[in-house]
Amino acid sequence: MSDSSKNPKILSDKVIDLLVSTTLQKNGVNIDKAKKQLSDEQKKMFKELVEDLSKQVDAFVKKPPVNKKESK
Amino acid sequence: MSKCYDDSEYKRRRRRNDEEERPRRKRDREEEHDDADVVQDGVQKSFIDQESDELVWIKDSCNVEVQSTDTQAAVSLQVGLQLAIALVVSITIGDSDEGQSVAQELFQQFDTEQTNKQKIFVENSKDVTITTTDTDLSVNIQALLQVLVALVVKLDVL
Repeated sequence: MSDSSKNPKILSDKVIDLLVSTTLQKNGVNIDKAKKQLSDEQKKMFKELVEDLSKQVDAFVKKPPVNKKESK
Repeated sequence: MSKCYDDSEYKRRRRRNDEEERPRRKRDREEEHDDADVVQDGVQKSFIDQESDELVWIKDSCNVEVQSTDTQAAVSLQVGLQLAIALVVSITIGDSDEGQSVAQELFQQFDTEQTNKQKIFVENSKDVTITTTDTDLSVNIQALLQVLVALVVKLDVL
């Protein structure tokens, strides 16, 4: 098995960045206009949400949460 | 004899009914299709088909340690990430056609059918440690997180 699971970045940031940029551009999204839609309160909430999800993903990838000990 | 007559009469009636019904059915079908187009937009947004099967068979052994992936937790995490992406897009770009299209396209990059089957047999053994990983799920979750982070960085949230 490869050790890819030990690496938190499975795809390069550039590929993902390109995917997001292209998708937004293709659909004619104005980033500056989109930024203004978020209030400071919402930004704070999203920041916490993303940090929380990052921690959960990290924990999941680094250590499988289920640990059973069997004896027979 | 009467049965024969009944049969042909029945067939004739059915034919007539069919002829009357056909244009109506066609109209109905067209109407149904119009509805389907509208419904499909929302439903197609997140379609990831995954199947994970795991079997660990331990026989006549002692001191065997099994570490396996909690698929349930992984799937919840995946749904959480997809929701977060949809939420960010919905608030910033709006729930308009373009917003839905952006979310749909971001998810569609990971729109794959994945099957993961693992079978492990341990027999007549002592002091064995088994660690299994559902790589498909791990990859999907990490990629979704990267998309979410890239999106919020673009929007000056992080």
